[in-house]
Amino acid sequence: MTAQAGAQPRAAHLTPISVRSRIVGLGSIYGKTIRDSRLSLIIASGMLGGMALVMAAGVSSIFPNAASRQEIDKLIGAIPSSMVNLFGKPVQLGTLGGYFSWKYGAIFALGTSLWSIMALSGTLAGEAGHGSLDLVAAAPFGKRRIALEKVAAHLTILTLALAVLAVACWAGSHLFGDASLGDSISPLSAVGYSLWLGFIALFFGGLAFALGPLLGRAGSAGIAAAVMIVLWLANGFDGLAVVATISPFHWTANHIALVGQYDWAGLALVGVAAAAFLAIGVELFARRDLGVTSGLSLPGMPKVMLGVHGSVSRAFGEELPRALSWGIGLGLMGALIGSLVGTMANQIKSDAGLISTFSGIFPGFDLASAGGWLQLYAQLLFIAAGLAAATFVSKWASDETGGRLEMFLATPLSRSRWVVSGGIGAILAVVVVTFMFAVGLALGTASGGVEAGDALVGSAVLGIYAVAIVGIGVAVGGVWRTSIAGEVSALVVIATYLIDLVAPALKLPDWIHQLALTSHLGQPMIGVWDPVGIGFCCALAVGGVVVGAVGMRRRDVGR
Amino acid sequence: MAAVIRTDKLTKSYGSHRGIVDVDLEVQQGEVFGFLGPNGAGKTTTIRVLLDLIRPTSGKAFVFEIESSADPNAIHRRIGYLPGEFALYDRLTGLQTLEYFGNLRGGVDKVYQAQLIERFDLDPSRRFREYSKGNKQKVGLVAALQNKPDLLMLDEPTSGLDPLVQQTFFEVMRERVADGGTVFLSSHVLNEVERSCDRVAIIRDGRIVQTGRVDALRDLAHHQVELRFAAEPPVAEFDKLPGVTDVAVENHLIRMRVLGPITPVVQAAARLGVTDFLSREPSLEETFLALYGRESAEVKS
Repeated sequence: MTAQAGAQPRAAHLTPISVRSRIVGLGSIYGKTIRDSRLSLIIASGMLGGMALVMAAGVSSIFPNAASRQEIDKLIGAIPSSMVNLFGKPVQLGTLGGYFSWKYGAIFALGTSLWSIMALSGTLAGEAGHGSLDLVAAAPFGKRRIALEKVAAHLTILTLALAVLAVACWAGSHLFGDASLGDSISPLSAVGYSLWLGFIALFFGGLAFALGPLLGRAGSAGIAAAVMIVLWLANGFDGLAVVATISPFHWTANHIALVGQYDWAGLALVGVAAAAFLAIGVELFARRDLGVTSGLSLPGMPKVMLGVHGSVSRAFGEELPRALSWGIGLGLMGALIGSLVGTMANQIKSDAGLISTFSGIFPGFDLASAGGWLQLYAQLLFIAAGLAAATFVSKWASDETGGRLEMFLATPLSRSRWVVSGGIGAILAVVVVTFMFAVGLALGTASGGVEAGDALVGSAVLGIYAVAIVGIGVAVGGVWRTSIAGEVSALVVIATYLIDLVAPALKLPDWIHQLALTSHLGQPMIGVWDPVGIGFCCALAVGGVVVGAVGMRRRDVGR
Repeated sequence: MAAVIRTDKLTKSYGSHRGIVDVDLEVQQGEVFGFLGPNGAGKTTTIRVLLDLIRPTSGKAFVFEIESSADPNAIHRRIGYLPGEFALYDRLTGLQTLEYFGNLRGGVDKVYQAQLIERFDLDPSRRFREYSKGNKQKVGLVAALQNKPDLLMLDEPTSGLDPLVQQTFFEVMRERVADGGTVFLSSHVLNEVERSCDRVAIIRDGRIVQTGRVDALRDLAHHQVELRFAAEPPVAEFDKLPGVTDVAVENHLIRMRVLGPITPVVQAAARLGVTDFLSREPSLEETFLALYGRESAEVKS
């Protein structure tokens, strides 16, 4: 039917929408998404660009001359195949670009992918869950355009952050590198590296975006992140060789742009797959009912675990689903890492030169032992455990930010008891995650034929660090505002990681390195514990909850 | 005159869950149409199908004679929408929120926007998260009204508003109608529908159970009648009349419930020498409750 009922739209004295507000502002969905992403752009650009500069300075500082570079070059051909597949092919390790690509390339790719997953899983599904998408979708353009504008905004932000990284790689190589040692990174190499990161990120972010209309934000992000970890680890795990064939890391194994080695075809394949995922996401969003997701058909939680009997059990019951999610992810990583470390240690142990070289690259780690490798991985796992703790804090905080707290406090539940219950619930969630990691590690090391008694006990260090983060978050939430508690906890985790990473590399004063909580925990994976650091973490956990409880008694309840 | 809203056996199901079933509606231009029903009856589902936010399982929906899923943009261009439950952007102020939704419709008449803000007594400088429930509702209402839409689709619009602001809202709504607009308003607050709507449809368990003018709908309902006689009331005479039920006698007073036309009762009472006659017209609320059978439609004195 084409007949029109009612009056046609009338002309009105409308205020024109400026081009600026359409690009960055409230003039369009694209503009608002860009506006909302300003902080994440600053953080991502700062981290990517900053870390590239720091690494450039660190490499030049630790390996300043030709002799030291030759030592690193000797690694080529001697590095275990599992490590090669996991971290990428070691090419021209004696140059800044080669070393940077091999040691940090995968970490940069995983971090950028995680950012993309979080952004693209939440950009529509998050707004639908929040309740504002109905109003936006009632605007006079289709759902397809809404999705496209959201995707375009993320692509813009990602491109800007990666442009900063490209400039930092190029500038860092010229500022800190030695051209005579082959450190110079050309603009094309820098752009090629950034493109690789961007395409990998969009592959997994696009997957999350495609799943979003079906599964909602949490389900799509969880599955995309799990796929990312599996497709990365599959490269270093013989048993998953078939899976590795569909991994974008595998497709781009020959694209080592920072040393001038390009595989544009492989990169294009990743780009096409990413574009396909994004297109599927746009179409699914346009065709499906708004805000109606299928959800994951997970079995219902037993009633006893829902924890409706008291404030502590309710707090724990509320945390349990995400504790199980983190636990499954970390357990899986533990299993895969545990199965690899024996082979890696054996291969290095057989060559004294290799032991010496690896000691230079990873000072302080005994990589001739499986425990040493596990300790090296633990430094990475601290981030995951810390971020898990930050999400538990965030969940507790949502009682207040979501408006439930006023209902709780209208019962005979005191403010301080609410804080203490929430803190205990979050700590119990950390225990669940740590236990699941230890189980995964035990299974992995057993399958790899490695004795890992110390490492299993040492897994507890992840939990001990995480409960310290819980304490910090609960203290911030109790004393100031719960709306920033999760974010502050996450910032502490990231700052700790960066200090621990950067301070030794740049040979910064020891007191700076001492600021990182993780530098005080010893090497529990090989049975070396630092009682002072462990005690301090426990004090932070308990003290943080107590401080939060006291602080909560003194401030207004917010919304 | 062409219908602004028309549905034809509109059905929406969510898997095994019922949504709406065979909903037939027709709303004419210039009407204020009330869509009544208890929680979970299917009011919001119907509105979301009309806006193509969700797609019908079967049947068709037309807005401005455009099939809702065929060209939703053409529909959206001419509507103002207030969802029943919504949360906007915590960090934006009320004015920024209004600016954003105005811009999504190609810009906004700032003068009219300012008038609405003033009439609704809204402080636009505060962040959305700082607003009370009622003030959040005001932001939603201004966002729906500010573009002077041809059709207002409002899902429980007075929720959280104080009586003065409710009055303002009904004034603004009437102005839109006087200017050629149409209003489709869902509610479970019966007296506001009774005083603001021209026609009403009642939905129960996903099905339309009654549609009609508000006054006609009221006529369909029962009357609670009290008759006083000088002597013993002739109960049998009334008991046999069509539509008379629940006859009760107390001394010289006889009470009864009359469904449908009351004329036979009036004629019988006159013939039998009634000394006093009292008939209460039911409110829409009483009609509504009677239709739903949830409780007896007792007329309150």
